[in-house]
Amino acid sequence: MPIVQPGKRPAKRFAASKVLGGKFAHGSRATNVDLNVVPMVDMMTMLVIFLLQQFSATGEVLYMQKDIKLPDARHGQQIEVAPVVAINSTQVVVSGQKVADVADLEKDPSQIIAPLVEKLRDEKKRWDFIHQNDRDREKDWKGDVNVQADVKVPFRVVRRVMTSAAEAGYGNVNFAVVEEGAAAAAAAAAKAVR
Amino acid sequence: MGGGAMPEGGGRGKKKRRTLDVTVNVVPAIDLLSCCISFLLFTAVWTQISRLQTSPTGSGSPTETQPTKALTVTVTIGERGYVLATSAGAQIEIPLAGRAGDGAAAYDLKTLTDRLKKLKTEFPDQAAITVAADDAVVYADLVHTIDACVGVGLANVSVMGAG
Repeated sequence: MPIVQPGKRPAKRFAASKVLGGKFAHGSRATNVDLNVVPMVDMMTMLVIFLLQQFSATGEVLYMQKDIKLPDARHGQQIEVAPVVAINSTQVVVSGQKVADVADLEKDPSQIIAPLVEKLRDEKKRWDFIHQNDRDREKDWKGDVNVQADVKVPFRVVRRVMTSAAEAGYGNVNFAVVEEGAAAAAAAAAKAVR
Repeated sequence: MGGGAMPEGGGRGKKKRRTLDVTVNVVPAIDLLSCCISFLLFTAVWTQISRLQTSPTGSGSPTETQPTKALTVTVTIGERGYVLATSAGAQIEIPLAGRAGDGAAAYDLKTLTDRLKKLKTEFPDQAAITVAADDAVVYADLVHTIDACVGVGLANVSVMGAG
């Protein structure tokens, strides 16, 4: 079967007719259609600019968890890569591994969470191993640890985490917060969706 | 797609004019933008998380280099509100602004900020502050207090337990 150009196919007698056959005449109209892509390019440019503004070279240091709602703050600094201690209402987690239950911590009178200290010491050993050939290794060591805690976690739990981190050699505790502008924008967006 | 106006008439009659309309091929631009959008969407970080740097009191961290003659400023967060104390002898109590529906304490952050601003004006070189919190204080209140301290320029924040 031959390949034919799509279009109307009148009966032969209509095509031959001088009166009716005129509108079926082929070749009078070009089949190429110019598509105006300028609005699409404009939109894509706007999208690229917006996404570039959102871009973060540090990547996602902390992963938002459903059971942890971070507080908002205005004067936070850019977060850096460091071991993350996540505290929710039930457990304390370091780099994805549970180290303690909050209920057990309430019963334990000790100020230090031993598994947390051990885990953080492991992290420090790993850092030491990676930087073993660095001349300024001691200077480069900042002792940063990121604490990602839920808004309702009591300070007695946070204090023990801080004490344990200091015991393991992590003297700089960074509290993870959501930037207030971003939080407000997210809340407004959620409200608009509702 | 780029267009230009035709020149005014008045040239020599039968000479054929060249059109000024130029079609710019935007397909490569669309390809590039599509790649950019795909990459940026994959790597986008939608939640802007930042950090408030603190140090536990007595941890001996390298950031704790304070001048020896600096004033010691302590903000205590208790169940009755804030207590702002300095080593100069000043002690200011800032009571709670109220209580939320669930009984949670609502701290008067605005007054604390004003007091800290005043303190910073009096001691412009002061950068260190100690935040002492009760065990029952929730993390959000602690963070808001630290944020207020950092906001007025007291960026070297130490955290300790009250009492």
